[in-house]
Amino acid sequence: MRFKDQFKFVRQNMKKNKTRIFMTVLATAMGCAFLIVLASVGFGLQKSIVEEITQDRLMTEIQVHGKENEENAGITMDDITYFEGLGHVKAVTRRQMVDQQGEFRVGEFRAEGNAVVVDFPSETKAGFELSEGRLPEADNEVVIGHDFAESLAKWNGKETAPLNEDGTVKEEFKYKGELIGETLNLGVKQYEGEEEKSKSFDVKIVGIGKKPTKDWEWDPNIYISEKVLSDIEAFTGTPNGTVPPPNLPAEERELMEQRKDRFYSQVSIYADDIENVKTISETIKDKKYFAYSVVDEMEQINTVFLIVKSGLIFIGTIAIIIASIGIYNTMTMAVTERAPDIGIMKAIGANPSTIKRIFLIESSYIGLLGAIFGTMVAYLITFGVNWLLPIILSNAFGEPIPGDFKFSHIPLSLPLICIGICLVVTILSGLRPARRATKVDVLKAMRREV
Amino acid sequence: MIEVKGLSHQFKIGKKGKETIIPVLEGINLKVESGKIVTVVGRSGSGKSTLLNLISGYIQPTEGEIFIDDHHVTSFNESKWADFRLHNLGFIFQSFQLIPSMTAYENVELALTLKGVHEKERKAQTEKLFKKVRLEKFMDHYPSELSGGQQQRVSIARALILNPPIILADEPTGSLDSDTEDELLDFIKQLNHEMGITFLIITHDEKVAKIGDRIIEIIDGALVEEEDAS
Ligand SMILES: Nc1ncnc2c1ncn2[C@@H]1O[C@H](COP(=O)(O)OP(=O)(O)OP(=O)(O)O)[C@@H](O)[C@H]1O
Ligand SMILES: [Mg+2]
Repeated sequence: MRFKDQFKFVRQNMKKNKTRIFMTVLATAMGCAFLIVLASVGFGLQKSIVEEITQDRLMTEIQVHGKENEENAGITMDDITYFEGLGHVKAVTRRQMVDQQGEFRVGEFRAEGNAVVVDFPSETKAGFELSEGRLPEADNEVVIGHDFAESLAKWNGKETAPLNEDGTVKEEFKYKGELIGETLNLGVKQYEGEEEKSKSFDVKIVGIGKKPTKDWEWDPNIYISEKVLSDIEAFTGTPNGTVPPPNLPAEERELMEQRKDRFYSQVSIYADDIENVKTISETIKDKKYFAYSVVDEMEQINTVFLIVKSGLIFIGTIAIIIASIGIYNTMTMAVTERAPDIGIMKAIGANPSTIKRIFLIESSYIGLLGAIFGTMVAYLITFGVNWLLPIILSNAFGEPIPGDFKFSHIPLSLPLICIGICLVVTILSGLRPARRATKVDVLKAMRREV
Repeated sequence: MIEVKGLSHQFKIGKKGKETIIPVLEGINLKVESGKIVTVVGRSGSGKSTLLNLISGYIQPTEGEIFIDDHHVTSFNESKWADFRLHNLGFIFQSFQLIPSMTAYENVELALTLKGVHEKERKAQTEKLFKKVRLEKFMDHYPSELSGGQQQRVSIARALILNPPIILADEPTGSLDSDTEDELLDFIKQLNHEMGITFLIITHDEKVAKIGDRIIEIIDGALVEEEDAS
């Protein structure tokens, strides 16, 4: 018997008992919708959290924080050369902070902040992004953070800056003009005995950094080259321009001044492709470096969510199994009702396997219909939840929920998993009734004794 | 050709351990040559239907073998039996055995559908056969909307649809009045003449028995050939 004819036969049979079939499909659809909606919360939270983590970070970045079991745990130039020699490494950036609060002046405006020492050639390779201007070429050129201008305030000679309560500069003291091309005066200090002395370095602003991705982030730093740092160190006589407390014992101070190796506090390796992050990360971890990449964290988060989602799908599957009891009943009834017809079909030569297949098609068709309607309902529910829940929550707690936060998300794989589970469960529950159909006794059936 | 060798059959009734054995057929030998009509008669309860059910494969004999067109059918499993029945045997029953939820057309078409014939081809063959049994006006009627004679003609159409060489009939006229019975017997003779179909017919009606080339009687579980058959 052709599949098309079997299917037609099944549809004809199903039409004879529409209410019963409808109720069974309804139960199955409810089970499926339950499974999908339940699991979609797992998928939605995972998606939102993962997006939150990866949003403002380069996925190809591996941060190196130090080295295990070494006398000096810092990362030195030797380590960086080693990283650069690894395969699939696009760039290795190194940053350090000037170890004192810097005083920055542009004309009659003043700001305090951190000077970050960077190696511009490697930053360029890694993809340091600017919102304006260009990257430094000469040693005395610098890039300022995106919000540097906001922190500049007209200096009135007093100790306290003219700030609002929330820490921003008062409107009338704000810097209004263009900063690119301006000369920035970078002031550093050092104690000589009890006496404080200071020196200032003139640098030229050539570029402005990109706005940080998160709304609440703020970048008032300036980015200087290693040459400028050397100049600062020449003045302070200490590495990184550190200001040792005036009462530091002389030996320790000497030890500090003699330290030759330069340690980099923020070292990042950039892989040429996200695929290679894991390999590089594992290679350097084997060499006892402390390394961290978003990919590492993602792996952990994904493992946790895999367990959560499996649990949710398992609970959802129970709902489908309960619905399958309905299918079992419906199919048993169908076999009982049609036993005389089955007997006649067998009498003229219907193969038991054909009869079995017809009933299996019927039960899996019910399962498939249930899964499809369930999926549609689940999409509607998900849509509703994502629209309504943020409104309810923000009303209840008075705080707005981030706009792109999704409580529920249905990836394509979820309906497919659900349809798969549903088909397996419904075929299993249809198996016994179908086998019973093949066992119908021809003579009894023809005597209407079944 | 149907060949029955040393066929015995007993029914067992009652609970396991306390079964009563009912012997029905004892060492039956029978040969039905191709192209012949053979009728089987006997008292009620003599085992006529049992014999036919054994030849149809609806029940398995306690002992003995059956060959149909050289196929050793008593060794068949259920699935093989089903395919063999579909392709080689036609059936006519006393109570017609049409599927009530299907129209006359669908009942006749069923065997073609089971065989896997394309829809177009099915339509052509089924309609042609309905003309032959002169029921083309009743194709869309359900069995409950047909008279007994019409129902039996539909069931004959169903038996003929796959052109089987052999047709087995258990009391085919049992539910028909005398005029319809005559009509049906003429049709059987016509099919036998024109198409050479072999008929094995069970009956307790003398008129029906007489259309047989041979008449066989079952007495006490054994076969007795009636010599006076013409
Ligand atoms: N399924 C069964 N279980 C037990 N005994 C049975 C069964 N079927 C038939 N019999 C017995 O077998 C015997 C023969 O029955 P069968 O139906 O073959 O008779 P028959 O010759 O066709 O009679 P009739 O002319 O009344 O149709 C009967 O005695 C009957 O009781
Ligand atoms: Mg009988």
